Amino acid sequence: MPSVLGDYAPVLVFGAISVVIAAAMLGMALVCGQQKPYPEKVTAYECGFEAFDDARRRFDVRFYLVAILFIIFDLEVAFLFPWAVSLSRIGLFGFLSMLGFLSVLGIGFLYEWRKGALDWD
Amino acid sequence: MTPAIAPIGLGSYLVVSAALLVLGVLGIFLNRKNIIIILMSMELILLAANLNFVAFSSAHADLSGQVMVLFVLTIAAAEAAIGLAIVTVYFRNRGSIQVEDVTMMKG
Amino acid sequence: MNAMSVNWILALPEITLALAGLVILVFGVLQRPGKGIGACTVLSIAAFVGCAVLVALSPDGAAYAGTFVNDSFARFMKILVLLGGLVALLLTVSYRTDERAPLPFETAVLILFSTVGAMIMASSANLMTLFVGLELSSLSIYILAALERDDVLSSEAGLKYFVLGSLASGLLLYGMSLVYGYAGTMEYSGLIAAIQQTTALPVGLMVGLVFLVVGLCFKLSVVPFHMWTPDVYQGAPTPVTAYMAGAPKFATFALLLRVMSGPFGAMAPRWQILIETLSILSMVYGALAAIPQTNIKRLMAYSSIGHMGYALMGLAAASTNGVRATLVYLAAYLVMNAGVFAVITAMRRKGREVTSLADLSGLGRTDPGLAAALAVFMFSMVGAPPLAGFFGKLMVFAAAWQSGLYVLVGIGALSSVIGAYYYLRVVKVMYFDASAERLDQPARSLVFVSGSMGLATVFFVLALGPLMALARQAALALGG
Repeated sequence: MPSVLGDYAPVLVFGAISVVIAAAMLGMALVCGQQKPYPEKVTAYECGFEAFDDARRRFDVRFYLVAILFIIFDLEVAFLFPWAVSLSRIGLFGFLSMLGFLSVLGIGFLYEWRKGALDWD
Repeated sequence: MTPAIAPIGLGSYLVVSAALLVLGVLGIFLNRKNIIIILMSMELILLAANLNFVAFSSAHADLSGQVMVLFVLTIAAAEAAIGLAIVTVYFRNRGSIQVEDVTMMKG
Repeated sequence: MNAMSVNWILALPEITLALAGLVILVFGVLQRPGKGIGACTVLSIAAFVGCAVLVALSPDGAAYAGTFVNDSFARFMKILVLLGGLVALLLTVSYRTDERAPLPFETAVLILFSTVGAMIMASSANLMTLFVGLELSSLSIYILAALERDDVLSSEAGLKYFVLGSLASGLLLYGMSLVYGYAGTMEYSGLIAAIQQTTALPVGLMVGLVFLVVGLCFKLSVVPFHMWTPDVYQGAPTPVTAYMAGAPKFATFALLLRVMSGPFGAMAPRWQILIETLSILSMVYGALAAIPQTNIKRLMAYSSIGHMGYALMGLAAASTNGVRATLVYLAAYLVMNAGVFAVITAMRRKGREVTSLADLSGLGRTDPGLAAALAVFMFSMVGAPPLAGFFGKLMVFAAAWQSGLYVLVGIGALSSVIGAYYYLRVVKVMYFDASAERLDQPARSLVFVSGSMGLATVFFVLALGPLMALARQAALALGG
């Protein structure tokens, strides 16, 4: 009689395979690639910052702005999933409702664009 | 096939969500430091309610609870965005987002 | 007529207003920066008027799978909400910040969206529409409160309102989830059935109800959930304060009345004592805490706390008469409150806004018209006959008396007397104190609003008959 843990065997196999693939990729790069390290190259990658600074300093406020705008548009996608799954059953009206919803979002996008919220400088 | 582990009942979900609610409320009232922590506590409260909705929805086999969760998620996102925006504006004016500094008006 | 067209027709006012909001937003953002506030406000006012006509013409019925209901109660509340929003819009027209800049055009759009939310609240027949409407309305107001971005007080007001407001909506949502869980449905009609079926009410349902009431009381700024009110009223730009003191309160009252007399109507004996306590606390606290205030916006905050207490009296009566009384009270409150805020918006000296009580000294000599209007509003708030506030108070007192809430009526009368002290102090400052420096000539829109509201306050009695008939019809539609 298979136990509940037995049901997770495929996950174990999946994990093992991913370890093998990851090890293979890193190992191949190590073995076959040319290595020319210099300080700029080996520092940790940080988007938008000079990396040779304290990690606890204040962020530029523009990052917050982008994050705030992202939150809104990101979560509206949550409505797209149920819509996409049931598209065959909700008919033309359902399709058009989502278009209406998206055009409202589009107006929001137009607003932030015109307001210059998307310009970095 | 019977599961080896007993299914998790509705009661357990309710306990977890009640705990989340209490954590969120305490986080707001006991926190004397940063306003961002208040924002996080607020999300915790909304999540507690969401967990309730999903648990009840599954217990009643009624979809409206899950629809509600979708609405709540969206509103929570809008709320977080507005909260962050107001905090940013406030910081620009006062140079601080410490809770104890929010005392320009009293009485 | 099929179900879909019923949906469209019933929600037509809300849909129209929301679409108008989107159009105005696009129009405004296409103008050059800093321009377009005037045009946007005019367009919004037109949208409000059109929407009010649509509301008056809209038929009865339920739409959107029973989540949205339109009846005479919803129409009554929507008209109140629209009037509240309209007055606030009129006040924004001439408003200038201390840097002499007009408010951004988004003000009009946000007031408009907030009003859409408030209208949805008035029509909700399902906890889902309740929550979505409430949040649409409140989220817009959070931004409105922090609208003067370079002003410390305004951003602090926005922050405080945001934190406490979203805590309130979190608690409200948690209460809703418990109600949903223990009743098994979110529809009001389903809740009625579920509550009538059970003989012993589950504890979860009671707890959920209490959370729900707490959340709504936060929005109404009823004691003990009032602490944000004075700060937010003081910090927010004055037209925004005028809006906050009006439309959202009416909409929250619409929710409270509908939920309490509909789904939870059968439980009335249990919640009556709760509402009664809240009402007493608000009336007494509103009267006492206002006495030491020197800032007129803070004074109005405590005044609104007190008024919400009086309006709750009608709900505590738990009868059709009580609901009718609350509706009439709210109508009277709308008129006098809008008038007071028009006068406060007009309080400027050398282009800068002044809000201290002492700035009103001698207004009776320097600007007799404005002073007379403010005096009328203050007497009306006290409840002096034959002004608007008198009839509101009379009706809630009578309704509470009929339901046998003698203690409540006694305390209400007592706190009216205490409240009279600080209202009449404003009148005394205007007419008997040594003149302060002249205030600026008020803008025409402010003169119009304060003048028309003053006339409405004085001649309220003429409209009382039809108003009471409408309110009665609305209360009957609620089945309270």
